[in-house]
Amino acid sequence: MKQLYYDVKKCLGCKSCEVACAVAHSLSDELFKAIKEEKLSLPRKKVFFSKAKNYPVSCRHCKDPKCVDACMAAALTYDKEKGMVLHDEARCVGCWMCVMVCPYGAVRPNLKTKMPLRCDKCKDKKEPSCVKACPTGAVIWQEEVK
Amino acid sequence: MKQFIIIGNSAAGIACVEAIRQRDKESKITIISDEDYPSYCRCLISYYLAQDVKEDKLLYRPASFYKENNIEVILNKKVARVDPKKNRIVCEDKTALNYDSLLIATGSSPKFPDISGIKKNGVYGFRTIKEIKEIEGLIPLTRAACILGGGLIGLKAAYALKKRNIDVKVVIKSPQVLSQMLDFEAAGLVRKRLEENGIDIILGNDVSEIIGEGDIRAIKLDSGKAFESSLVIVGKGVSPNISLVKDTEIKFNEGIITGELLKTNIANIYAAGDVCESYDITTGKHSVNALWPIAVEQGKAAGANMAGDSVKYDGSLGINSIEFFGLAVVSLGIYKVKEADKEFEELKISNEKEARYKKLILKNNILVGAVLVGDIRPSGVLLRLIRERINISSIKDALLCEDFGYPDMIDLVKGGEKIYV
Amino acid sequence: MSSIEQKSIDPATQEALRKAKEENIKTAWDRLESQEPQCGFGQLGVCCTVCAMGPCRIDPFGEGAQAGVCGADADTIAARNLARKIAVGASAHSDHGRDVAHTLAIIAEGHSHSGKGSHSHDYGILDVEKLKVLAQEYDIDTNKSQEQIVKELSQKLLAEFGRQEGELTFSKRAPKKRREIWKKLDIVPRGIDREVVELLHTTHMGVDNDYKNIIKTGMRCALSDGWGGSMIATDVQDVILGSPVPVRSKVNLGVLKENYVNIVVHGHEPILSEMAVKASQDPELVKLAKSKGAQGINLAGICCTANEVLMRHGIPVAGNFLQQELAIITGAVEVMMVDVQCIMPALREIASCFHTKLVTTSPKARFPGVTHIEFTIDKAYEVAKQIIQLGIENFSNRNKGRVNIPKQEMDLVAGFTKEIIFQILGGRYRATYKPLNEAIISGRLRGLAGVVGCNNVKQTHDYFHTALVKELIKRDVLVLQTGCSAIACAKQGLLIPEAAKEYAGKGLQEICEAVGIPPVLHLGSCVDNSRILSAASYIIKEGGLGEDLSDIPAAGCAPEWMSEKAITIGFYFVASGVYTVFGAQPFATLGSKNLTDYLTGGMEKDVAGRFEFCDDPLKMAQLMIAHIDKKRRALNLKPAMYES
Repeated sequence: MKQLYYDVKKCLGCKSCEVACAVAHSLSDELFKAIKEEKLSLPRKKVFFSKAKNYPVSCRHCKDPKCVDACMAAALTYDKEKGMVLHDEARCVGCWMCVMVCPYGAVRPNLKTKMPLRCDKCKDKKEPSCVKACPTGAVIWQEEVK
Repeated sequence: MKQFIIIGNSAAGIACVEAIRQRDKESKITIISDEDYPSYCRCLISYYLAQDVKEDKLLYRPASFYKENNIEVILNKKVARVDPKKNRIVCEDKTALNYDSLLIATGSSPKFPDISGIKKNGVYGFRTIKEIKEIEGLIPLTRAACILGGGLIGLKAAYALKKRNIDVKVVIKSPQVLSQMLDFEAAGLVRKRLEENGIDIILGNDVSEIIGEGDIRAIKLDSGKAFESSLVIVGKGVSPNISLVKDTEIKFNEGIITGELLKTNIANIYAAGDVCESYDITTGKHSVNALWPIAVEQGKAAGANMAGDSVKYDGSLGINSIEFFGLAVVSLGIYKVKEADKEFEELKISNEKEARYKKLILKNNILVGAVLVGDIRPSGVLLRLIRERINISSIKDALLCEDFGYPDMIDLVKGGEKIYV
Repeated sequence: MSSIEQKSIDPATQEALRKAKEENIKTAWDRLESQEPQCGFGQLGVCCTVCAMGPCRIDPFGEGAQAGVCGADADTIAARNLARKIAVGASAHSDHGRDVAHTLAIIAEGHSHSGKGSHSHDYGILDVEKLKVLAQEYDIDTNKSQEQIVKELSQKLLAEFGRQEGELTFSKRAPKKRREIWKKLDIVPRGIDREVVELLHTTHMGVDNDYKNIIKTGMRCALSDGWGGSMIATDVQDVILGSPVPVRSKVNLGVLKENYVNIVVHGHEPILSEMAVKASQDPELVKLAKSKGAQGINLAGICCTANEVLMRHGIPVAGNFLQQELAIITGAVEVMMVDVQCIMPALREIASCFHTKLVTTSPKARFPGVTHIEFTIDKAYEVAKQIIQLGIENFSNRNKGRVNIPKQEMDLVAGFTKEIIFQILGGRYRATYKPLNEAIISGRLRGLAGVVGCNNVKQTHDYFHTALVKELIKRDVLVLQTGCSAIACAKQGLLIPEAAKEYAGKGLQEICEAVGIPPVLHLGSCVDNSRILSAASYIIKEGGLGEDLSDIPAAGCAPEWMSEKAITIGFYFVASGVYTVFGAQPFATLGSKNLTDYLTGGMEKDVAGRFEFCDDPLKMAQLMIAHIDKKRRALNLKPAMYES
């Protein structure tokens, strides 16, 4: 299963990945239209700055996901075939249990839509949009490293 | 081939059977529950009452779950007692079932205070789908309701009833809301948001009498004041359902006492969930932490060990996450300490105007608790610091920063996960 | 990766791109791909690199920072970024104008002959009539001697650049009502260099952070270009080099000739390319070329300098902006001489793949490691000859096996100026705009459109220009063109009188047949957009079409714009009351809703002109026609005669 990894030596903290992520999850999938949408999309990943380096953080799709255990609405499941945590928006009530238990802080609440923001590996696309968007190639999309 | 019996069909019970089935597809598993409903998301019943979710979304697992996992499920049957010597359980209807390994996940029940009128029609706990449906039936006839208690359950019930256009008054003995999860200042922010949205909060008062002939008409407070109400919801805490072990050699305190494998003092009997008393990693003492995610992790560990594995459970802690009218709140571990207590160190940052509050409680430079209001983004990594008992002295200054995150603690955590090259 | 057909609609370009692909030569199209996806913050105009407390960015999704370190919000950041582009565009045009005015001054001093050459190789004054007209505008007594007039005029022209107060002389050409609007809004252009400096000043850290005010200052600077720098360039070039008259020529890569020494001029200033034209006809050099086995010297142009020598001498045009690399890639160019603006740095590497010698001539535009033969007025002809000789001597280095010149070349007619329109439309006896105005009033002509501007590799090359212009002329709109846009349409055969029968609506057809013009008039280079301003002023003066430029049933468009100059041109048209559509992509202002709304709406209240951003050529046409019809109704004119 492919996963997202990050080369901290190359990450410039430009946040192009965040912009691409937000656009990829918008209705129109186009930058100029996405910023006008009523339910404004937000990025599913965030770049943090720590000790003079930049670290993108996104859901790790853990094999033993704490968020799935904590979800009180059974909206989160782990799909073995796809190797990822799936979020069912229809079941979600925005209780933020998943935000509370994620050991990477990779899930953020979207208080406007009452949905958690979490990386879904752009499951409806060929590959995550952040990969191409990174101007330095700091976003790596490759088979899981054990 | 073994016979597993799991008493309880909710968070802990389901987590347990899933853990067993991961390791053992052959043995027989029987779930027995005193509720007449397939496993459901208990925490969602207030959302159901508020009509935020429909009933079909309440199921915790799909209807096919039991069949697909080869689990026998017996509903609507209460277990009267456990017979450890004979390795069997005895139900109220006198039927007995034998087990090789037993999980007690009977949960807890609402505590009803000793008040005059508490036994009248129209007084409800807020625990089961059965109760909620009865309450729902009364809604067309109800103009005003009274909630006893300002805990999570009480406030969620208040929200639900307010959403159904019922006048709601919440009567709280303590001088603040959510006294079991927030400190005074954070509670103030929550109360403000609730009152702005039409929920009447009465602090520092207790109900002395529930008045009415047959049906309820009014509530009287110990201050003497009275007001109209035809529905009372009691949210004064829960007590573990331990009656079934009372006359046995199974050790219990407030809840059934368990060790690091979630075993009771009886080798083949385990306990998990609201009924379970376990080591609390923030207080260092054994206590009951009646919370959904805790129940799941305990059930998971218990099930793994029942199936022959040896999974150590580090311990529980209090963790709560809730949102009221756009205000998100998270409470982790120890949320309040006495000012005089020099053992603990408090770090705090507060912005009342923006309804933002962050408080961290440290003991010997180890995070033992946190309260976050408004911006709850760092909750997950703070919880990790608590659970892994990380010494945070090298990152103390960063803890309260707005974008404190995983990268700040990456050198300190135990995970060993590979994310960055 | 787009297909060749998606890259350009021009078959010559397609063929050259195929050759480039086969030979593994990277062009602008390839480099765009490796740049994509381009930075979202930049595209939205919310990246600020002004000061060292940054660089800052505004989160367009509202979650992150909404202000830079200094407190500037998206409106300020986007407006400042746009203002800087206006200043740069104005600088390019106005500096060109300065060079032309300076040339006139040198002519006045009589220093323009080169060492050994005879006097006839000098720059002279080839349009004495126009000299006198300009002199009158500058209050110079035209009874004086020509030398005196030239001297005084050149001084006064140069003074426009250093002027501090008052109003630029040429801006007085605008109708009274328009000047009143400028006065009311305090955007009367005072001095050419002053407006640029002041605009740049306002974008300095911690100066103007009112986006409307920034745009206001921007408009004033743009006006100092349109009615200042550019207009000086156009009109004084006409005085020195002669005003264009209608001329027939050819356009597209096919104008390069296999058996000739091909010399390509690229850039913007005709002061240089004029000399190249003369030098290419020098008998000594032609003889030299023949001695090397060529049939002669073939001069062709790229971009605006091409338009200049086309307008005045009928020199063929090899291509527009996006074809500059492709001309070299044909393998048949001996020398490409460049001066300033729109010259891709990539040319160096591409030329090095062939025998082609790239030669820079301007001290303002150098390429590292590239032959530089500096062009100066006093050695003008000598330098031009030197460069052409370089080309002739390079002819034998041509790798004949690698030559592939696409066959396409199209006829075109160019050379229309405001004076020509006078003459053509008025007939032999009376130069007047009356027939043009009457054509519009009667509805035979629905209105006018200025379709101008660059190419942009993000759009299908030439498609927007031609699709739009075809639609406009179909609806009886007479189209005035300049720059790369004109070249694009010329390649598709729209700039010949015959195009009227094939593409134009009935009304426009009738006019074209009566007068003998194409339905699309080529007015020249990008500085020659000032011709449109002057022509519009004449239309108002002639009467019957309102009192202000914004009353004319007309609209402007830059369908495939790319450069900062395009932005400045857009601003001086809008500030002069013209509804101007920018195609393909909007300004980098979408990150600021306020600014974008002002540019596409609110500013109309201030200057009776505004922008429109549209990315579909047929929709652009619809918008422009709707605007033109609206103006017709406001003038109480009947709808277009042949309403379709």
